[in-house]
Amino acid sequence: MLAAAHESGAAVALLSGGTDLVPALRSGERVADAVVALRRVLELRVRGAGADSLTIGAGVTYADLVGWSLSPGLARAARVVGSVQIRNTGTVGGALGSVRPAGDLLTYLTAADAEVLTASPRGTRWRPLGQFLAEGVEADGLVTAVRLARPGGPQVHVKIGGRQAAYPAIVSCAVVVDRVRHRVACAIGGVGRLPARMGGAESFAVDEVDWTTGTIPVQAARRFGDLVVEAVAGISPVLPVGPGESADYRCHAAGVLASRALARCLHPQATRATQPATTTELATDAQPGTARPSDPTAGPGAAGRGGGS
Amino acid sequence: MTAAGESYQLYVDGFPRAVVGAELGDSLLSVLRDTLGVTSVKDACEQGRCGACSVLLDGRLAASCTVLAADADGARVVTVAGLGAVGLARAVRAMFLAEGAVQCGFCTPGFVVAVTDLLTRRPDADDEEIREALAGNICRCTGYGRILAAIRAVQRERGILPSLEESRARPDGG
Repeated sequence: MLAAAHESGAAVALLSGGTDLVPALRSGERVADAVVALRRVLELRVRGAGADSLTIGAGVTYADLVGWSLSPGLARAARVVGSVQIRNTGTVGGALGSVRPAGDLLTYLTAADAEVLTASPRGTRWRPLGQFLAEGVEADGLVTAVRLARPGGPQVHVKIGGRQAAYPAIVSCAVVVDRVRHRVACAIGGVGRLPARMGGAESFAVDEVDWTTGTIPVQAARRFGDLVVEAVAGISPVLPVGPGESADYRCHAAGVLASRALARCLHPQATRATQPATTTELATDAQPGTARPSDPTAGPGAAGRGGGS
Repeated sequence: MTAAGESYQLYVDGFPRAVVGAELGDSLLSVLRDTLGVTSVKDACEQGRCGACSVLLDGRLAASCTVLAADADGARVVTVAGLGAVGLARAVRAMFLAEGAVQCGFCTPGFVVAVTDLLTRRPDADDEEIREALAGNICRCTGYGRILAAIRAVQRERGILPSLEESRARPDGG
């Protein structure tokens, strides 16, 4: 049906959760001759686990992922997207299909080396997330699933922005550590058109980690942040910016978040005392469903106290 | 797919309602208000940010402005009016009034739906969880303190929290 509509020249919009598309249709930002609604395609709403990988259907909602024990990192990233209302309807496929540069999930998926499965009349294919984001989905195709490696170590996703429930993050950072393969991955969102991997900082961190204990010196975590700032400064184009979110600010924030995320993965004791009790930064390394009153930035309640409203 | 001009059906607050003449791109919010006349569902931001249009869609809390109405064909939609005259929803409404959680009232229908959804799922939710669960509902009047107090009052009335008298009898908080 999608292919036929495409051949007829009609502007077809794919609808998943609707949290991006429906407001865009209403405001006139998006125009469509036809809408293909995917919510009832049950095959898209499954998730599964293989020996080495996890596969998440495009129709899986953020709420579905929030308590997923097989991928705590993904669960935490999903937990801090939008509000209950948004998490109940928004989907993984929608996050990829609409490709909002500040989409929080994309930052995590970029760090996690996700692969994206798309389907079109010419068949299905897996592509690395970066390639998928650069090329986009074919006009007659759709995203059907995302695949990740099973986690091999701590994963932290942090972000800075206004009221979380209402606005996407200004800058987000995900650090994924694989203690089995001795790898560190770091992605920054909100500095360029798409989330970017911080290759130089990653290599530095791999050399600095004491892999027998899974820790890193405090100074190395700071240096990691500096390297991220250097890398981010070279990224263009920078997103359109508002008064409170200049390129300089984003660049600085990226370094702070990267340093903090790495420290939380690899040296949690050293950072606890230095965390400022900011209400706009939403740490996602708390276990879902458990409040930790001792750490004001880690609890979910920060969502309701966001500063932007 | 339902095209413009065709009709589809929603179950709004327990009643089947035929939707005729709506545009393909219409949101559930606009169909509820403009086509079906259900005006307790409030229209504010139309971007899924404010929660004034919150409904239960097949039992899950959703911002009706982000739902395509035609895609909800056959769905059960529960607004503040359909939550029920007894039980939890009655208690939530009563305590919103008793605790001063209603000022201008524009956000109230959405809040009552969201609070009822929360306390159905998590009757003993603590402050942190309440604040997180209601982050998608914006109130410009109360500063949220009275809304939180109303929820605590509901929990006391339902025996989930000790009553104020019991708390006073045990100053250590029990």
